[in-house]
Amino acid sequence: MSLLTLEDVDAYYGESHILRDLSMAVEDGEVCALLGRNGAGKTTTLRSIVGAKPPTVRDGTITFDGTGVTGRDSEDVSMSGISLVPEERRIFSDLTVAENLHLADVARNRSNTIGRSVSVERSGMSTEEVFDFFPRLEERDSQKAGTLSGGEQQMLAIGRALKQNTRLLMLDEPYEGLAPQIIEAVESAIERISDSGTTLLLVEQNAVAAIGIADRCYVIDQGEIVFEGEAEELREDEETRERYLGV
Amino acid sequence: MSDESANPADRTETATTVDTADAADTTETEADGGETLGGASSASTVASLQARWESARDRELTVIGLTIVGVSLFPYLFARAPVVSDLLQGYQELASLMLVWGIFAIGFDILLGRTGLLSFGHAALWGTGAYAAGWASANITTFPLLLVAIGVVTAVFLSVVLGWLSLRRGGIYFAILTLAFAQMIYYMASAPLAFITGGDNGLTGVEIGSLLGVFDLGTELPSVAGTLLGTWRYAFIGAFLVLSVTAIYRILNSPYGIVFQAIRENEQRAEFVGFNVWRYKLAAFVLSGTFAGLAGALFTIHGQYVPLSSLYWQTSGEVVIMTVLGGVGSLLGPLFGAGIYLWVEYIVSGGYPFDWIAPYWLLVLGLVFVTVVVLFPEGIWGLVGDLRDRVATRLEER
Repeated sequence: MSLLTLEDVDAYYGESHILRDLSMAVEDGEVCALLGRNGAGKTTTLRSIVGAKPPTVRDGTITFDGTGVTGRDSEDVSMSGISLVPEERRIFSDLTVAENLHLADVARNRSNTIGRSVSVERSGMSTEEVFDFFPRLEERDSQKAGTLSGGEQQMLAIGRALKQNTRLLMLDEPYEGLAPQIIEAVESAIERISDSGTTLLLVEQNAVAAIGIADRCYVIDQGEIVFEGEAEELREDEETRERYLGV
Repeated sequence: MSDESANPADRTETATTVDTADAADTTETEADGGETLGGASSASTVASLQARWESARDRELTVIGLTIVGVSLFPYLFARAPVVSDLLQGYQELASLMLVWGIFAIGFDILLGRTGLLSFGHAALWGTGAYAAGWASANITTFPLLLVAIGVVTAVFLSVVLGWLSLRRGGIYFAILTLAFAQMIYYMASAPLAFITGGDNGLTGVEIGSLLGVFDLGTELPSVAGTLLGTWRYAFIGAFLVLSVTAIYRILNSPYGIVFQAIRENEQRAEFVGFNVWRYKLAAFVLSGTFAGLAGALFTIHGQYVPLSSLYWQTSGEVVIMTVLGGVGSLLGPLFGAGIYLWVEYIVSGGYPFDWIAPYWLLVLGLVFVTVVVLFPEGIWGLVGDLRDRVATRLEER
């Protein structure tokens, strides 16, 4: 059974129909990439999964680990094991690096949380483990997160997601605006996260980078899935690449 | 691939920075060596004192200790000390009133400065706290501590209701909703509930008993305490201010404080991390309402009268101005905002030596506010921080 399934999802921003009968599945343990041009509906798909509003999902079902999550509140979805690292500013820039990481503990620790308690079965990484992944974060421990470089902010955002009970980590445009060397660092982090057993859904415009790291790819265009298959197939399918991804 | 070797560019960059810093250090040491022995050691003393101060500055004991010292010296400096008090034209009762409003403002800042929510209805909470304490004093008990408790509990209940209703919307709509509900309460108090509140006349017949049945709040404290603090009333209010600062310090440095800040920065991202943002906002609203109720009850104990205007929207506006003037998000800043606001309102408007400007005291207040907001967006507290940094750099340059 797939870890995450979207079945015939229709999502709207106000009256405009963005996702049309979108169906896709992410298998347990894989690195899945969702590719497409700007405005194709990639971010809308992620937002639909985590229950962010807008968009409104009017039709279709989203299932995570056998449980329906369609229309659930973001904080519930997050506690059930899906973490989204949104594009651009992903961290809380007024808080220090340590506080940013600590937030994940606060959210997970029910005694500190106001509101409905969600049972958290799987615990995330400890701060030490995150520092092990990203030693640079440890050096910047007490620095305001807003003063970090773009790459460090990305590492911090991923680090925070890892500290949650993440089973599915979704990264929206993780390479955007990063220097080539930093992209390499993020890539290697993604590989290590995948090796540690976390499932990844990668949303990218940068198709070349994503194909290089993904097991399977979906290509989305105008809110519809137009390609589905192994990364290898997409690498060889020149027509699809040129038509929908421009590479 | 391990992360160790992953990041050649960044690595080089760090290395370069370290090298430069090292070089600078070396130069400095050499320069110091060249100076006279006395000069070098005094410079290093200043530096080490400064480092020690910086590490202690934000610690709980420092913050509370400074608050206690400030609260203890303030009435003496303001109302009795030679020269200073003549310049400021201060008097004992105004010092107490400043502390009351100070509690209101630092509590309000939990909501405005930390959580990023602008409420325009806190007059309802302050006024209700004040009326509850006043009504209780005429009908139930005259013990000051019980009156405070009654005021706080009433305000907490009301803030749960107000927050629950107003937090349905964000941003400007939240501000308008709080304003609307607060004005509703004001009109309720002015006519339909006049048999309780005294309507336009305000609540008279407030009677405040002695503290623990022993100390009359109006009398002077014995010996040195009397010179410094003045009356029992001031000591009573001052104790609550210190308690409030301690409580708020604890709240802001607890996990809740971090979540509040995260919400201020980006609500949706906080949801993604797994927080029920709405409930945290309600918590912040109720917490600030608690301090508004406490301050309101103290206001009644201080003035032994509750004016209807304590529920009016202008009161909500005043606490916003005090907080912004003092510095949002700065814990102690709003105390200074409250002090300056009241000083202009009571002293500058009051005549000699300000008779020439007294009719224009609101204009003075406006100018002070605009100047501070334009030049020091972080308020008076931010200005203090700026000056401190500047002095520190000056000292280092020596």
